[in-house]
Amino acid sequence: MDAGLIAQYVMNGLMLGMMYALVAVGFTLFFGVLDVIKFSHGDVLTVGAFTALATFVGLSAAGIRSDLLLLPAMLVAAIAAMAALGMLIARCLVLPLRSAPALNTLLVTLMLGTALREAVRLFYPQGANPKPFPALLPAASIPLGQFNLRLDNSIMLAAGVGVIVGLQLLLNRTRLGLAIRAVAQDEETARTMGINFNAIVLVTFAIGSALAAFAGLMNGLYYNEINFGMGLLLGVIGFTAAIIGGLGSVYGAILGGFLFAALQTIGAVALPFGSAYKDVFAFAVVIVFMAWRPTGLIQEKISERV
Amino acid sequence: MAEADPQAAPRVAPKPRASLWPGVAALVVATAYLITLLAVERQQLIMGLLALAIVAFVAASWLGLLAPVIRSFAQRERALGALAILAVLAVAGYFREDHFVLLLLVTVLLYTVACLGLNIQFGYAGVLNFAGASFFGIGAYTSAVLNAHTVVPHLVVLLVGGLLAALIGSLLLLPVLRTRGHYAALVTIAFALLLKTFLEVNDVLGGPQGLQVRGMQVLGWSFNDNISIGGIELSFYMSYLALSMLLLVGAFILVLRLERSWIGLNLDAMRLDETAASCFGLNPARWKITAFTLGNFLIGIAGALFGMVGGFVAPNNYTFADSLILVSILLLGGIGSPWGVAVATVIVVVVPEKLQTIQEYRFLLYALLVIVVLLFRPEGLLPRPVRRYFPGWRQ
Amino acid sequence: MLAAVLAASTMSATADAKDKVKVGFIGPLTGGVSVNGIGGRNSAELSVRLRNADAKAKYEYELVVLDDECKPNVAVQVATRMAADKEIVAAATHYCSSTAIATVDVYHKFGLPVVVWGAVLPDITYRNKYAEVHRVNGTMINQNDANAELVTKLGYKTFAVIHDTTDYGKGHNQYFSAAVTKLGGKILGTFGVTADQQDFTAELTQIKALNPQVIYFGGLTPIGVRIRAQMDRLGIKAVFDGTSGIVSDAFIQGLGPLAEGSLAFREGAPTEKLPGGKLFMEKYTAQKYDNPPEAYGAFAFAAMDLILDTIEKVGPNRKQVIAELRKTKDRDSIVGKITFDDHGQNTVAVITRYVIQDGKFVEWEDSQYASGKRKLPGQP
Repeated sequence: MDAGLIAQYVMNGLMLGMMYALVAVGFTLFFGVLDVIKFSHGDVLTVGAFTALATFVGLSAAGIRSDLLLLPAMLVAAIAAMAALGMLIARCLVLPLRSAPALNTLLVTLMLGTALREAVRLFYPQGANPKPFPALLPAASIPLGQFNLRLDNSIMLAAGVGVIVGLQLLLNRTRLGLAIRAVAQDEETARTMGINFNAIVLVTFAIGSALAAFAGLMNGLYYNEINFGMGLLLGVIGFTAAIIGGLGSVYGAILGGFLFAALQTIGAVALPFGSAYKDVFAFAVVIVFMAWRPTGLIQEKISERV
Repeated sequence: MAEADPQAAPRVAPKPRASLWPGVAALVVATAYLITLLAVERQQLIMGLLALAIVAFVAASWLGLLAPVIRSFAQRERALGALAILAVLAVAGYFREDHFVLLLLVTVLLYTVACLGLNIQFGYAGVLNFAGASFFGIGAYTSAVLNAHTVVPHLVVLLVGGLLAALIGSLLLLPVLRTRGHYAALVTIAFALLLKTFLEVNDVLGGPQGLQVRGMQVLGWSFNDNISIGGIELSFYMSYLALSMLLLVGAFILVLRLERSWIGLNLDAMRLDETAASCFGLNPARWKITAFTLGNFLIGIAGALFGMVGGFVAPNNYTFADSLILVSILLLGGIGSPWGVAVATVIVVVVPEKLQTIQEYRFLLYALLVIVVLLFRPEGLLPRPVRRYFPGWRQ
Repeated sequence: MLAAVLAASTMSATADAKDKVKVGFIGPLTGGVSVNGIGGRNSAELSVRLRNADAKAKYEYELVVLDDECKPNVAVQVATRMAADKEIVAAATHYCSSTAIATVDVYHKFGLPVVVWGAVLPDITYRNKYAEVHRVNGTMINQNDANAELVTKLGYKTFAVIHDTTDYGKGHNQYFSAAVTKLGGKILGTFGVTADQQDFTAELTQIKALNPQVIYFGGLTPIGVRIRAQMDRLGIKAVFDGTSGIVSDAFIQGLGPLAEGSLAFREGAPTEKLPGGKLFMEKYTAQKYDNPPEAYGAFAFAAMDLILDTIEKVGPNRKQVIAELRKTKDRDSIVGKITFDDHGQNTVAVITRYVIQDGKFVEWEDSQYASGKRKLPGQP
């Protein structure tokens, strides 16, 4: 196969992987801190994307046309709004249910995801239709043989890498990150050490949801379109990726995201009848993988009190 | 004079068996209400009726009228069960010519069967299954394919549908057994998505266009023709209703007996604490497999019959969102409570159909309702009563 | 008290001068192609409104509207509901072919006469000989013949086909592939995609390797927009050749300048050029609807008009409406003369060829591409 073609496939895979990784990191953060899977994460991504779109529509109507102003404004609006939403969800739904069986939290967040998705569909003007998303990044492209190197793809990829590196720095080099890791490791001891548990949980949810907003914006810019159902599949794939990499490990989540994208791309290329079966292939591999390694690549040590 | 032996246990007069009448009264009221709700067309009247129901329920609970009804149902189950069957037949008889209402009733009956299967998995064994609609779909597709291409008798097709659902479910057994909690949830969610995508891209099974399903025919009696007995015209859905009723009664009895038997006891023990149960000699793997397979079998049979009733199957009918609806029915009615499942199914299926204004909003409302239930009344509408361990122990 | 409620509900309204008759309309009112559904609904509603304002009409009509969401399973549910309701006498149904083909059996089962207003798949009327099913708009066979003719005449020789996997897309693939191969074109690859697919980079990367001159798209606007946008992202410079499925303002709105130079075909003249087109547009704009009638609004109007005329003639009885519709021959309507053949299909001879120029659908003959002032990508 032509080197340019391979490069094109690799680029496609990288973009997908970046988006999955961003969602997966959110899942892993929530799980690490509260032992809870927030299934509504994918739909928070959708709401973030729609917030960005609404900001764009609002600002354009007010007369602002410059891309340099619009893009950061949308980014800030989406991130701030989703951080707030994440904190609200933590405060009202997840923290009160900490003592209930884990099943209840799982179900509550699943239903919340459905509620968010339906709310966007019903209450955003003509939400049921796919909505065109403005192309705010420069669209210049450099054709290198069969491979079309686009500037906006590269910018997005670089930004995604930057965000992930920034997150790692936050977790490993700052006091806040230390507090988060402490709470994730052992809640009681962290509390006795003077860490404000509730505040840390809220901050973690805010960070995770902000990541989702960023991923939603990226998704919108990449496909030039958003629709109310985009979060469902992304959420499940993000969750899958987080599990593949091992819940609770940020590196694992990133790895899982790129792995899943690789699975899909390989499925699209290698399967004879098609790219249509790539999702089937990817999910089947996941199910088999779960049978082999029930808690992901990084084994979780579970101890249960009887 | 003989002294009363101070060591003897005090004589307690056994409490009389609960009266049948509160249960009967509740059934009659419920039946009349259901008939009215189904017959009325004007939206304001429907909203009024629903508000009335909520007010009546709250008032009855406050006045203490619900406790005798619950006792009556718990202790006179056989008699009241038979009367409930008569009640359903009465409703069906009233609407004998109305196609749409009968279709709605059949939908309620078959969804209840599917949720009873889900109940065995979720409620008794604690096995998470977020792919209930997928197994329903497997049953439906089985009847589509077998009816169109083979001469397998249609009643046998129902069985094959159930068996196939159980069989395909067994493919998931290894991952389901080895995972717990959210990992287990992922397995069935991934399967739900996988099956829907597979059905969509696969042309052999009709692809996104779906397949038409031939109507049922038993011993020459075609279920898709209108019936006329004497001078009375009956909608063709009556035949399906009769069969669904039989199926539901069978499933209901099965589930109730299962719960009370040693199997149910083992399932409960395993659900509540797997480690402790295995210390007592129960093999969790064996019971999980039993529950999962049996549940899928029931769901598959219900799906096969529903496919023939609707006459059409398509991948979009059996998505992850539909599985979530089945789960929300279970949660609403009370996990582990078969009567609760029945009541919740009626609410979830009938209300959006009648209240057209909320038809569009129904997914949102289900989700919000379940969230509220989980936050404030996690046991559901009709919570599962505490298991009675001693025969003859009266409440 | 419940008895009183029952009595209240069954008490009929005070007798009007005219009897009320219910007619139905089904179209995609939500989802990606909703603008077409809403346009159709407004047109049908216009027809009912005009008829009710007419003092000479024998009955007062009420329009019952249901949404099929362009999904076959939803369509079967709403079709069952409409057909099972004995009060609805007839209905104008369906824009999406995938839904129309799924529901023909339902209408036949319950005996509801329907007139299709927007779906183009031939099988809808030709797969079975159901007396209940009729159609006023044309089928996709003719538009694909015209399509193949134009692109081969322009000198294009290599094609790649992307089609959605519903019967609609498969039908387009079948007819176009046959037509273009007969005229000497070579199909380098055929790709089926799901109707709600988001990411086409896999298929388009494979197409890029094949390097066709034209990419033929058999499907509807939502994924048409995505494919065209992702073509640009991957640097594919082929002609985007579509069908009646993309003849919609939503296609241009979704793509902006990228839509320039796309081809599309549909049966029937543009609304303004129809025999009753100007009158229809006048009355439509007078109602101040939020949506334009879109490509098939005029056909929805004609379908509803035909239904109302038939009910006026034979009364609100389903069986008699079916018998009368079968006899439709040279009936005047705003889309021209309607004649149903033995399968209930109307013949629509005219095929309009469009190219998108400066953000509008322009007829090929009137465009600067035909005169040579502009060139399509890769035009020899």
